[in-house]
Amino acid sequence: MIYNAQILSIDAAETRRYAGLRKAEHFGEENILAACEEALLLLEVRGVWELYDYKNCTVESEPPFTIAGNSIIKHLDGCEKVICMAATVGAAIEQEITKKFERGEYLASVLLDAAATAAVEQAADLMEKNFAAKFSKEGYKMRWRFSPGYGDWNLTAQEKLFKISGAEQIGMSLSSALMLEPRKSITAIIGLCSIRNEELGIRNEKCSACDKLDCSMRK
Amino acid sequence: MIEIFDGAMGTMLQAGGLKAGACPELMNVEAPDVVKKIHRAYIEAGATIIETNTFGASSLKLAHYGLESRVRELNFAAVKVAKDAAQGQAKVAGSIGPTGKFIAPLGDLDFDDAYKIFYEQAQALAEAGADFLIIETCIDIQEMRVALLAAKDACNLPIICQLSYSEDGRTVTGTDPQSAAVILEAMGASIIGVNCSLGPEQLVPVVKILAENCRVPISVQPNAGMPYLENGVTKFPMDAKTFGSWGAKLVEAGATYLGGCCGTTPDHIRELAKAIRNEELGIRNEKTIRPLMLSSRSKTVTIDKTLPTTLIGERINPTGRKKLAAEIREGSLLGVKKDALNQVKAGAKILDVNMGVGGIDQAKMMAQAVREIARITDAPLAIDTSDVEALEAGLKNFPGRALINSVSFEPDRIKNFLPLAKRYGAAILILPLTEHGVPKTAQERVDVAEKIIDAAKNCGLSNGDFLLDALVMTISADKDACLEVLKTLQFYREHFDLPTTMGLSNISFGLPNRPLINSTFFAMCLAAGLDAPIMNPYDELMQNVLKSAAALLGKDPNGLNFSKLAQVATDKPIKKITLDTLSAIKLAIQEGDKDEIAALIKRAVDENFSADEITERALTAAMNELGEDFGSGKIFLPQVLLSAETMRLAFDELKKILPAQETKTRGTFVIATVKGDVHDLGKNIVGALISNSGFKLVDLGKDVDSEKIVRAALEHDADIVGLCALMTTTMIQIDKVIADLHAAGSSAKVMVGGAALTQEYADSAGADAYAKDGVEAVRLAKNLLGD
Repeated sequence: MIYNAQILSIDAAETRRYAGLRKAEHFGEENILAACEEALLLLEVRGVWELYDYKNCTVESEPPFTIAGNSIIKHLDGCEKVICMAATVGAAIEQEITKKFERGEYLASVLLDAAATAAVEQAADLMEKNFAAKFSKEGYKMRWRFSPGYGDWNLTAQEKLFKISGAEQIGMSLSSALMLEPRKSITAIIGLCSIRNEELGIRNEKCSACDKLDCSMRK
Repeated sequence: MIEIFDGAMGTMLQAGGLKAGACPELMNVEAPDVVKKIHRAYIEAGATIIETNTFGASSLKLAHYGLESRVRELNFAAVKVAKDAAQGQAKVAGSIGPTGKFIAPLGDLDFDDAYKIFYEQAQALAEAGADFLIIETCIDIQEMRVALLAAKDACNLPIICQLSYSEDGRTVTGTDPQSAAVILEAMGASIIGVNCSLGPEQLVPVVKILAENCRVPISVQPNAGMPYLENGVTKFPMDAKTFGSWGAKLVEAGATYLGGCCGTTPDHIRELAKAIRNEELGIRNEKTIRPLMLSSRSKTVTIDKTLPTTLIGERINPTGRKKLAAEIREGSLLGVKKDALNQVKAGAKILDVNMGVGGIDQAKMMAQAVREIARITDAPLAIDTSDVEALEAGLKNFPGRALINSVSFEPDRIKNFLPLAKRYGAAILILPLTEHGVPKTAQERVDVAEKIIDAAKNCGLSNGDFLLDALVMTISADKDACLEVLKTLQFYREHFDLPTTMGLSNISFGLPNRPLINSTFFAMCLAAGLDAPIMNPYDELMQNVLKSAAALLGKDPNGLNFSKLAQVATDKPIKKITLDTLSAIKLAIQEGDKDEIAALIKRAVDENFSADEITERALTAAMNELGEDFGSGKIFLPQVLLSAETMRLAFDELKKILPAQETKTRGTFVIATVKGDVHDLGKNIVGALISNSGFKLVDLGKDVDSEKIVRAALEHDADIVGLCALMTTTMIQIDKVIADLHAAGSSAKVMVGGAALTQEYADSAGADAYAKDGVEAVRLAKNLLGD
């Protein structure tokens, strides 16, 4: 299923965080807003997702995809279905990030890069809003989206997740080193579990679930 | 008159034997008695309108079960069983659900393909004898628009349009109830409402907003609260009595068609019917005047004499704009999108879109421009074209209610444009021109406008759909041109009491000092009753006139907004002036003052400092301090980068003024992102900081294989090789490069870095240093070379 979410403005606070400026409150407000505006012009938002049953740590896709890694297995514990999704904001913005750096506009380049990251996350958030509307009616609650590379979920999972999310349909590709292209893209898995089974209030705990304690973007 | 809908169908079908994973609509032919029994239960509970079991009976949905060829059969059977059950006691509404796909550009379903799908189902339901059609549970206004269009084309039945809203009060794709009401009423929905997703409590405010923003009846069908799953079965927590008790509040908010959606049963409907049987109808504002409202997917703008002046931005128009015209001709919309964002930022509330470039497919370009603009702004659009195909393309692709610019009394406009306005629910800008030209006097213009309004009303448009243009001619050709415009505005107000517009700048054509004439004219027009000027929002003088006129005309109480104009930004501190030149350079670098740095370098050279002195005592010193501040967490990487940018300008300036004086280099640094890795921003940052710290940098780029790195290291006699890898999957390349360097006999030190790397990994790979960031890389580079 394709859903290219509409982004009307890029979150400046998140852009600031991705630029590593969360603690530098008084620096670069105008530059950040300018980066968010410019990014908006360059976005080519695309998104795709598929729904699968999930049993015994296995996504029942064709072929089946067995999940390995303690953190992801724990994260999906109790889930009956999973959504496998992919989203991208396209290659145009990446080209502009590179061009800016070549022209010596280092700051603008880094901020545009951060705005693009914020935009991919926003696109994924908007896709989640769609899932929430769709699946809450059926009595499901969503776990937050989890991507290969988070926690101890090995990056090698990218290969299968890429395939079963349908990422190819939105023009994404995967390099032999398992990198997504365009670079400003994500793949993720979202667990769906019955509301009655869901006792943990796990939302927005992405940072606390990660063991990279010295990350400049840690919330 | 209150009507009661039925409640949920799906759960009742399951109770009646529908197997999990089976097609619910197939029950219409395979188990009609089960379906009939459900209908009867609801009628007996008090439903006056029952919905057919056809929510998923479109070809696209039926294709999931391989039943796409049976659309007509299943819809016919559903109406038949509903009518059999109703026996004249209840009316039958043919249910049409969403396709499950998004309309392009949000999804991959083409507008015209969606139209065919909805048309086929609507036609079948209507021919089978339904009394209403109900398009429900849509989460995207564009899908609702296409479904409504198809349903209206397929039959003459009243059509109910119900969107689903999320907890934030908007649909999944961002539509608010006000915009939904405005868009759907204009397109001819007979009843507008909301169903599913939320319980009755959350839908009260939605119903209220719908009721306040249109004149058609409002319908509401809430869920029985928010669902949960128990043993694989979806359950809804709200009991029938509680559900029914919300009925009065929903009626009070303005609903007159009430029923239930997911989780509701005949009991819920019985309680609802009982609770509102004797309910007084809500005091619906029986508005005689419908204001002019335009909407995008997610925002409504009202143009009215009681509201602040509405700016219509005129810049998305290639006429007289060579660069924009060339871009559009090449198919690029970047300039158009920039103008969209910037005009909104400058205060435009509506954006005029004109794609009038010769030699292009205007309809195609208009469709594309409208889609792209509507993706990045929430301003409603005015489709500005004389080409009927371009107009339709614009109206179709705009997921809202647009303004048509313009409809004159020329026969082809009346014949072709007015039906499109009605069809797509657009408002029209009325230009009082005839095929014989421009009427000279105000009275003649009013007469022509009246004729256009009459023709529009004959097409089904009404007040609330009209914006009157006063028609500005140039005073250099007609001395009374301004006076006639002012009189026209006045007559429009007296005669029609409709909102007004005009393009202003024509007034001064052929005269000197046009801005003065234009702004004076603007002020006069605002006083005479101009509501929505079409203008250049970037024009500061006009913006100032607008603000001062608002204060003068009582639209800015106490001149509060006007007062903000007077607050001039405070001047920057001038501390650098009092510093000696080298200290001033240092400060400029640290603050990233790119505007001043070149002049300061020049001043230092004039004061006879050598390039080395400037570099060492000012530039390098500044970077050293920045490095320390960064290390201690006082400043952050982007700030260091801004300083590096400034530093680069300083070096450029030095080279320009003193081309003969080579500054010393600390050494040669070859840098690359390793093979397989396409991330280069981090590597670029390190490179920028290194090269601005006195090193000669050789940047080999990203995804560079080992052989090339080794060759470059030898060729440039590198002192340091910097290797970058972002991912665990690519960092193993680092081991290979280091081994290859050693094998080739390179004496270069190796520094590594990147998100996935650690000191431990660097050590085990045999690297000489691990830098966790660019600033650290500079410090380590200096250390490695013994500085």
